[in-house]
Amino acid sequence: MDGFLPYLLIIIPALAAAVSTGTSILYATLGELVMERAGVLNLGVEGMMMVGCLASFLGCYHTGSPWFGLLCGGVAAMGMSAIHGAVCLFFQGSQVVSGLALTLFGVGVANYLGTPYIQQKVVGFASFNVPVLSSIPVLGPIFFQHDAMVYLSFFIPPLLWFLFMRTRYGLALRSTGENPEAVRAAGISPSAVRWSALMLGGFLVGMGGAYLALASMRMWVDNLVSGRGWIAVALVIFAFWRPGRAVFGVYLFTGVTAYLFRVQALGVGIPSSFLNMLPYLMTLAVLFASSLKGRGSGAPADLGNNLKPGS
Amino acid sequence: MSAISQHTNSAPQPGGSAQPVVRLEGISKFFGQVRANYDIHLSIGAGRIKALLGENGAGKSTLMSILAGRLQPDFGRIVVDGEHRVFRSPKDAHLAGIGMVYQHFMLIDSMSVADNVLLGHEGSFRISPAKMRERVAKLSAEYGLEVDPAARVGSLSMGERQRVEILKLLCRQSRVLIFDEPTAVLTPTEAEQLFKAMRRMAEQGKSIVFISHKLPEVLEISDEISILRRGEVVDNFVRAQVPDEAELARRMLGRDLRKGDDIALSAEILPGSSASDAGTAQGLKEIMGELPLPKIKGRGKFLAQSEPVLSLSGVRCSAQDSVGVHDVSFAIAKGQILALLGVAGNGQKELVEAICGLRGLDSGSISILDHPVDEYWKMQPPHGGLGYIPEDRRGVASCPDLDLVDNFLLTTRKLFSRYGLLDRKRAMRATKALIREHNVLPGNPKAKGSELSGGNLQKLIVGRELLRNPRCIIAENPTQGLDVAAMEEVWQRLRIAKESSGILLVTGDVSEALALADYLAVIYRGKIVDLFSVEDRAKVERIGLMMAGSASLAG
Repeated sequence: MDGFLPYLLIIIPALAAAVSTGTSILYATLGELVMERAGVLNLGVEGMMMVGCLASFLGCYHTGSPWFGLLCGGVAAMGMSAIHGAVCLFFQGSQVVSGLALTLFGVGVANYLGTPYIQQKVVGFASFNVPVLSSIPVLGPIFFQHDAMVYLSFFIPPLLWFLFMRTRYGLALRSTGENPEAVRAAGISPSAVRWSALMLGGFLVGMGGAYLALASMRMWVDNLVSGRGWIAVALVIFAFWRPGRAVFGVYLFTGVTAYLFRVQALGVGIPSSFLNMLPYLMTLAVLFASSLKGRGSGAPADLGNNLKPGS
Repeated sequence: MSAISQHTNSAPQPGGSAQPVVRLEGISKFFGQVRANYDIHLSIGAGRIKALLGENGAGKSTLMSILAGRLQPDFGRIVVDGEHRVFRSPKDAHLAGIGMVYQHFMLIDSMSVADNVLLGHEGSFRISPAKMRERVAKLSAEYGLEVDPAARVGSLSMGERQRVEILKLLCRQSRVLIFDEPTAVLTPTEAEQLFKAMRRMAEQGKSIVFISHKLPEVLEISDEISILRRGEVVDNFVRAQVPDEAELARRMLGRDLRKGDDIALSAEILPGSSASDAGTAQGLKEIMGELPLPKIKGRGKFLAQSEPVLSLSGVRCSAQDSVGVHDVSFAIAKGQILALLGVAGNGQKELVEAICGLRGLDSGSISILDHPVDEYWKMQPPHGGLGYIPEDRRGVASCPDLDLVDNFLLTTRKLFSRYGLLDRKRAMRATKALIREHNVLPGNPKAKGSELSGGNLQKLIVGRELLRNPRCIIAENPTQGLDVAAMEEVWQRLRIAKESSGILLVTGDVSEALALADYLAVIYRGKIVDLFSVEDRAKVERIGLMMAGSASLAG
């Protein structure tokens, strides 16, 4: 019993760390999810996060307001999204190529422009305990002893669910991801729907980048995003394109990582390479189990296809 | 049946009580030189079911696409409620209360029936699935279109999906509903249900126009019948004026019933065969050289003149979702064209698949060039074998994303391979020559298959298949959807090919069968009703009846 207790005790701090490190990925995952539900595959998340990250840092650095920084980050990533929209929706270019180019461009340009600011600090979002809620045992430390952007992120998944399932716009958005021709026949412009999804999703991805600069690090360092954008792209698939499952997927990933980090610190003799492997093994297991259910993966039928012009 | 007789009794309403909902005045539509519709006048009355009857390519679908706003007429006008309207898009037609149920449904498989029906017409920004289901359930009950509003569309049968499409139109308050060959995808029971729903809609004041070439259903359901032939309305009458299918068939086929009347073709329409072209570029024949007779392994025996190139005896195959094939036997020799004539969905597809080795037989045997079918397809001689012109040009016969050279090579690659390597240069030259000689437009061999119109794609496919000097040809609805010029060109090619091969022509078009075939086999519900020579005038007169399955009358 005595040997077992430490492993239980570190679960709570591990989960708390999972929530704070997961927030950035959660915003990005939800943003990518919005775009993909409308049928646009955007592999540029990594680059968009980098640009959003730098823009938010600069916004906050020069005004001292983290909220203004957050806005800058979202809008900058929206601009990146608009490039993707211009290439794919306007010029009918390949969504995969455009997305990859966006990543290379975004990472490069943000690192270049950010060089003068390396090691510079910003005010950022400070942690504060939510009154009452933070004193609930277990749940309090895990969920309610963070910063404002974490609390904000709790509201986004239910809002997205409501948008998708309970509004006219959501129905059109989901339909556009499945069969844009049917949407056109219903008198709605699938192109307009995809543009709007790119903008909304782009803003969310930008918030994911902003979290890293304004809440996680509160300073600028090189290559701040370091692959989180790609994890977000993978998590959308893991989540079967559903916001609720995205939350679960994000916290699972970051939770397992954070827990194992702490287990190792206790001096356990598990090979660290096996521990590193575990989140991905879990992903495989969950994907396998879900496919046994036989409802299909839930991928939008028209994902990654360009709209046929005219008609 | 009592419901039907009641309905037909009430059909000839005196003077069409009010003014028609929609009137087409002098509609003409040309595609290049082809006249798809010419000076068409048609009125559609409230609460009436109008059948638009005609053969393939008669211009029915073009006319209805104009009415539904998908195409714009070159001349003439559309008058709705006495007011001249111009439809620039299907949306304009919807606003005027005109909607169309297409053969290919535009539905979202992964979503519910209610979502599909109400997409774009939800009413408020916030939606409630329960209320949406309720609305759709009410609508479907009102018109007798049974379908579970909560069901996922992907899990529905074709008949149910069609009901969803109809509900979409009803939800938009459409007053004129156009059905493009609605029963083509339905089982007989589902077709019955559709007819009931159509009557229900008509009783509630909706106008129904339905396109068909099936005589029995036209007689069963319609109040008025208009017959289109070659883009013109040639006849207009109420249901009560035609006593039976024979009379309707006579009116539909009209003067086309006799063979050879209408086609006086010269070599002119085959550009490749004219002398003027010969000098300018290397011809297909030169590129290909002489194709020696294939070395067929096995019995190694060549067919004597009179031996059949294709023979079927007692062929049976069952299919889950169709009528299958029951005890079909016939044989085709070199120099003969046998037309397998029937309304689509009577087992033709299964039979062709069996011949082409795509479907197993339950019993019976098929022999191609004196080899059992499976043996033949194992060896597949590169030329001198069987040429197949599939009905599905874009799906089966070609790859939309490949260029014309690759599409050309799909079945001819063995002729261009040397030591296992493709001679692409020669293939390119051959494709260019084929494009020139068969008048394929646009004439760019680098164009993708999807960039060609149906007619031009078909010319390429026909040219490709004939290049292999086949001794047996299966042509499945080879002119469906083609314009008149392309159609006659394909016909002429087949006539020339007949000299060196036996041809099975699968068609639903009586005039095509009469124009080309030496023998006719009428197929109904997977059985050959009768097989006879085109010279047998008495039987030719009864083709329409046989196609409708009235075997007793046909006897």
